Amino acid sequence: MNPVPETPGSRSPAVRCTGVYKHFGEGEARTEVLRGVEFTGDLGKLSFIVGPSGCGKTTLISLIAGLLSPSAGRVEVFGRSTADLSSENQTLFRRHNLGFVFQQYNLLAALTAAQNAALPLLTAGVPRREALRRAGELLDRLGLGNRLEAHPRELSGGQQQRVALARALIHEPRLIICDEPTAALDHASGESVMSLLATAAVHPDRAVIVVTHDTRVYHFADAIAHMDDGRIVSWESPGSRKPSAQPRPSP
Amino acid sequence: MNWLGLLMLRHDRAKFGAMIVAVALAVFLMQNQAAILSSILLMTASQIRDVEEANLWVTEPDVECFDQAKPVRDIALHTVRGTPGVAWAMPLLKIDTLARTRGGKLSTVCLLGVEDSSLVGLPRRMRLGKAESVRERDTVLIDPGGFSLFFPGEPPSLGKTIQIHNRTLRVVGISDASPPFTGLPLLHTSRTTAAQLNVAEERSTTFILARSKPGEAPDEVCLRIAERTRLRARTTDGFARDAMWFYGSQGVPMLFMVTIAIGLVVGAAITGQTFLMFVKENARSLAMLKVVGTTHTQLGWMMAAQAGLILFLGSCIGSGLAAAVCELMRQQPFLRGLYLPVWVAVWTCLSLAIVTGGAVVLSFRQVQRLEPASVFR
Repeated sequence: MNPVPETPGSRSPAVRCTGVYKHFGEGEARTEVLRGVEFTGDLGKLSFIVGPSGCGKTTLISLIAGLLSPSAGRVEVFGRSTADLSSENQTLFRRHNLGFVFQQYNLLAALTAAQNAALPLLTAGVPRREALRRAGELLDRLGLGNRLEAHPRELSGGQQQRVALARALIHEPRLIICDEPTAALDHASGESVMSLLATAAVHPDRAVIVVTHDTRVYHFADAIAHMDDGRIVSWESPGSRKPSAQPRPSP
Repeated sequence: MNWLGLLMLRHDRAKFGAMIVAVALAVFLMQNQAAILSSILLMTASQIRDVEEANLWVTEPDVECFDQAKPVRDIALHTVRGTPGVAWAMPLLKIDTLARTRGGKLSTVCLLGVEDSSLVGLPRRMRLGKAESVRERDTVLIDPGGFSLFFPGEPPSLGKTIQIHNRTLRVVGISDASPPFTGLPLLHTSRTTAAQLNVAEERSTTFILARSKPGEAPDEVCLRIAERTRLRARTTDGFARDAMWFYGSQGVPMLFMVTIAIGLVVGAAITGQTFLMFVKENARSLAMLKVVGTTHTQLGWMMAAQAGLILFLGSCIGSGLAAAVCELMRQQPFLRGLYLPVWVAVWTCLSLAIVTGGAVVLSFRQVQRLEPASVFR
């Protein structure tokens, strides 16, 4: 499963969710988490999915990442339905096309900052020396050039999230998914991480989707999808800051 | 990717250490017991294998091992010599009798009388003195265990005396004979001297040692001897095998096997359980690796590398410990036959690797079932 090729001139959305439903459990234990989600994530944009806890944000990005399958509806990433791929091909699809930033960083405690950042390259079979060299260069650009050999426990929360950002960017994926990237950080660190994300990750051929309920960083968004009770209830356009009652689905 | 797994393993020092210690102790226990068992079984045939000149042993039909001393008719020796395919045949007299020293030390001994002129049946290696010295009347060779028993604390020396049936025998050599299964002191002398000490039996031949002619199949010669003498003729290997089987079927090996099995089960259980805990505690990291595109095959190899390192280090430490303990025990004269055969070391390590490998496979199934979406929780 190779990276999805860039198609010059093509501006179709990187992510398109159409009528997506997701439930967990059966019978009395059945819980409806998503109830007909319509969502698009465009290339070259920083799209936020916001909403209260339990509204289905994390489930939605798990579906987009191919970590879960929808109960109904269709999730397309770069025109491919990830649910139609085999488990092995889903893994390979993520390896080549997706980068992740998590709320709790999820850095491996046993590895140094450079080794953590190099993980996607190592997974893809890039020789260790080359992977670490590239990780070092990227961490340098993200302001961690002097902490390459530091282990996660020796780094502050903001520094750990920057390492996680480097891990998400190192293999130049076309879609980056961030789950509450600033939730565990103070305001200054959160601003710093989001600023790096906006400058380093946003690219005409890359889409960035951020799940957050940290209102302090909403100003970084190009588009904000408001979720509630398993649905996208409104879209907010950049600059306007006026939530629109209509969903903003497909072009 | 495998080095990444090793870094993760090394990072959790407590579990890494616990697993190595578990493997090391299991390997030590298994190898120690297996070494003792195999050494004991090999000792049951040590006097048979010590006689390198002969390749055929002729005994009474119901003799199962070397320690069952049931004399054959003396005339049988001539019949064996006359059997087609036999190059030569010599008598060996074995007597279990009581010996004592002037100092009052008393013990049952195994006395072997070899044919005076050929000396077939004497130990090949000597620690002190010359084996041929037993041609002189009333002289014996003694093994190191016997010397330490009769002359405790004294340095090995020649000229000391031992009394059997009021005859005084002079020690003219300390042999390096393999230790006997019975643990009795082993004395070698000439058949003439031995015959004078053989007060309980009229017959003076316990075993007939023979050699098949070059080009003759030893098994066929054995058949001919058995046909002509009505005695039992076996090759050295056959007699040694019979002896080991005879003692091996007495039940004692079962006790050792139980201990070995306990070592295997306990070692594998502790290692497997700790490995499973290690996997569970690293579930989030493993799920993250799956999210970023690590395949199950890659994770499987990572876990195999982790298990391989644990087994390698644990096996090295355990085997080293077992070999060192064997070496220490061998310093005791009567335990000089104890050693750790390479095949025992390899077999124990392999069996532990297989059982532990099963536990690792179970851990891997946990990883396979691990939900990658759990990293978002």
